[in-house]
Amino acid sequence: MKNLLHICRFEWKNLWRNNTLIILLLVFFGAGIYGIYFGKFEIQKQEDRMATVQEYERQQFDSLLTWVSLDTSIKANQINFRRAVSPTGEGRSKHFTYYVLHHTPPLAGLCLGQRDLFPVYYGLNVTDLARQMNIGELANPMKLLTGNFDLSYVIIFLLPLLIVALFYDLYAKEKEGGTLTLLQSQSVKLSTVLMGKGLLRLLIVLGSATGLLLLGFLLQGISLGQNAGIFFQSLGLIYTYCLFWTAVMAGIIALRKSSATSAIYGLGIWLLLTMISPALLNLFVSAKTPLPNRTDSVHELRTLSGKVWGSPRSFVYDQFYPKYPEYDKGDSINFNQWYYASFTLFDDKANSLNQEYESQVAKRNQLLKKWQWLAPAAMVHENFSSISKTDRESHIRFVKRIHEFHDDLKNTYYPKIFDDENFNKTELMELQAKLEE
Amino acid sequence: MLRLIIKKEIQSALRDTRIQFAGTFLILLMLVSVLVGRQGQKQIQKERAEAQATMYDKWVNQGAKHPHSAAHYGQFAFKPKPVLSFLDLGLDNYTGVSVFLEAHKQNEVLYSAAQEGNGMTRFGELTAALVLQVLLPLLIIFLTFNIFSREREEGTLKLIHGQGISMRKLLMGKVWGTYALVLLIFIPVICLAYFLLDQASAGFDPHVGVKFMGLLASYSLYLLIFVLLSVIISAFSKSSSFSLLSLLGLWIAACIILPKATTNLADKVYPTPSQYEFRKTIAEKVENGIDGHNPSDARLADLKKQVLDEYNVSKTEDLPVNWRGIAMQAGEEYTDQVYDHEFSKVENIFKKQNRVSEWAGFINPYLAIRNLSMAFSGTDFHHHVAFVKAAENYRRAFVKKMNKDMEVNDKPGTEDYRVDKEMWESIESFSYEAPDIGKIISVQWRSVTALVFWLVALFTLASIYAPKISRL
Repeated sequence: MKNLLHICRFEWKNLWRNNTLIILLLVFFGAGIYGIYFGKFEIQKQEDRMATVQEYERQQFDSLLTWVSLDTSIKANQINFRRAVSPTGEGRSKHFTYYVLHHTPPLAGLCLGQRDLFPVYYGLNVTDLARQMNIGELANPMKLLTGNFDLSYVIIFLLPLLIVALFYDLYAKEKEGGTLTLLQSQSVKLSTVLMGKGLLRLLIVLGSATGLLLLGFLLQGISLGQNAGIFFQSLGLIYTYCLFWTAVMAGIIALRKSSATSAIYGLGIWLLLTMISPALLNLFVSAKTPLPNRTDSVHELRTLSGKVWGSPRSFVYDQFYPKYPEYDKGDSINFNQWYYASFTLFDDKANSLNQEYESQVAKRNQLLKKWQWLAPAAMVHENFSSISKTDRESHIRFVKRIHEFHDDLKNTYYPKIFDDENFNKTELMELQAKLEE
Repeated sequence: MLRLIIKKEIQSALRDTRIQFAGTFLILLMLVSVLVGRQGQKQIQKERAEAQATMYDKWVNQGAKHPHSAAHYGQFAFKPKPVLSFLDLGLDNYTGVSVFLEAHKQNEVLYSAAQEGNGMTRFGELTAALVLQVLLPLLIIFLTFNIFSREREEGTLKLIHGQGISMRKLLMGKVWGTYALVLLIFIPVICLAYFLLDQASAGFDPHVGVKFMGLLASYSLYLLIFVLLSVIISAFSKSSSFSLLSLLGLWIAACIILPKATTNLADKVYPTPSQYEFRKTIAEKVENGIDGHNPSDARLADLKKQVLDEYNVSKTEDLPVNWRGIAMQAGEEYTDQVYDHEFSKVENIFKKQNRVSEWAGFINPYLAIRNLSMAFSGTDFHHHVAFVKAAENYRRAFVKKMNKDMEVNDKPGTEDYRVDKEMWESIESFSYEAPDIGKIISVQWRSVTALVFWLVALFTLASIYAPKISRL
């Protein structure tokens, strides 16, 4: 044990005097800090967008609250008053567009994951959700393809390179520098020396990784106290990844090849595990299970829409009332009632189709998951995004929340529409509670 | 003499088992990517073509109805999977696949593959492009990093010099020798890919032969640049380890770090507007006029007066044509104008962003080949925009036809006007032809120039400094 410490201390001096370590750490931390900064920048952009829509939403709602108190004996005020109180809106514009936001999880700026592929907010009113969800965020596909230079990228791609660079000549350097025979003549076993050297390097790697993650929290202003759980989860993941790569390098060193050969082996395995194996996996999976054709659902909806418009009454009586008896008003039915009833029918149809697609997509993603051990880098990335809540699952949970929000909206609006009533001021104030904080 | 040097280089490389192994591995990777990728491309294209046909069939057999209802019923446009996309997938997983075309509004091209996959998708699919752009240069580095320094370390450089062989010739011999090996690795598989092209998809792109040649030429240039660069660096490095380290450093910077940093920088310099702002501006401009002083009801009133004057009547009911048809088409055309205006703004922002990486090709040849390869494979941004525009023009044409029919035939007094199959069939199914080679070159000239610039610069550098090699 004492020997080991001694070796570590000596090796540290050795490494420190050599510029390579300093250069490597400078590059690694430089890239890391850039990644932290860039992640913050991306997240800030999303937050700004959400803040803009939220402010717009508040302004709009304030107008509703002003309009509801207007003096309707003045003719000019009547339109705005109806805009405020009618649950079906006035003319072609619907009553109110609520914005549901996908709030930024604390770690999103460190691992942007899949968050840049989906909108982080949706604007919705009480009409059918299906068509209001058919919207994407404006994004340059080139940027999506290139991906984000965030902290997770530095950890997944560059950290292994640091490990390769630190470990590759662990043994070969002694041999090539002529110090190997000297070492072998010592009373300490060669394996202990190598162990000590390796241990020190591992400590440097783990220390740098911890430092970088801490820097990430610090520079992005993420509270460590409130997020201690996910901090340690991420740290655990990163440590496992480091240990994995150290083991790979230990295997290479055990072959006792020259430094150039060891470096090439290290780099080769890095290429294989971070780039080639995920790409091969994706190639096979996408050739084997092509993605479902989602246009069918649009087609079903337009057909349904055509039928509803063709004979609105029969649709309401035969399909809507039996399913939703609480809205059954008997024989009397006006335009808005059947019009809004049709939206519920659309959504029911769309939801059942969507479930089918999602199950197909899930099957495909299950296949990827089954083989993901072949691509440890992608596996770590997926786990990191899952810890940061920026993976596809998080988006699906957000969509689920939108569905709940929309159902809630219907529970408020539909009774009004089917009782043919307007909102009064108190009810509008209650609606205001639906706006997100 | 040159031939002898080339021969010697090829022989000594072929004898190296590590090179044999790495070369075979790359060839195998490319073979797998070509065979599996082609199968995938064929399958996807088949599905899209079928979907397009099914949807057109549904349009034709939608039954008798009012032309405007049909415009609402709408049509679909599916993006043909580019026939060369299995060589370079480019943006294909990040751009949508299909768009619903209906009256009054321009929908987005939706359902990108990246959105459906989990995080693994972001690591990309294995294509020949990945092998040729990233992996083969690495092999070049291993072939060349000690190509001079070894001779220097073993003392053979002085011997060669003493025999009176010019250093320029020696350098070029090593360049061409290495390059011959590189061509040996990549040309056969790529040519095999061409013979395996899915003929059904090739029909969508009559220029596929020229594009393939463009692809081949670009890669040949890019790899030559890499060979030259590596040999030159090796020639001027004192030791093998120094040249290996600097080459690997350059490779990591060029292929791994810089591409991301460049794209991120571009996004910072030219910020992308949000979907919310985009839609809001469109809605406002449609409502208040493009200049903000031409509200929609005033536009409608003007049009009404103009039409009434033209037919010399006082009410729309007395018109010999359908007023709603005219009004709707006018509304449609105004919305189109607004949309074109706003969409071209966004498109220009994206183009400016992409231009950053096009210019950066002069600093980093990897970026130049990446852009060119996508362009020739039909998977770059310009190809996507071309599809979006083609689909939109198709939408405008068929909606216009519906409106016109309504204007002329659904005259006041006509009860329950309907048209049927004959009308639906008169609109041909959506078809799209990818941009031709001239168009590609005209938008990608920066990347072409960047590659040529690199080649000329490196050759010049080599021939000026070659005599100094022996003195090092």
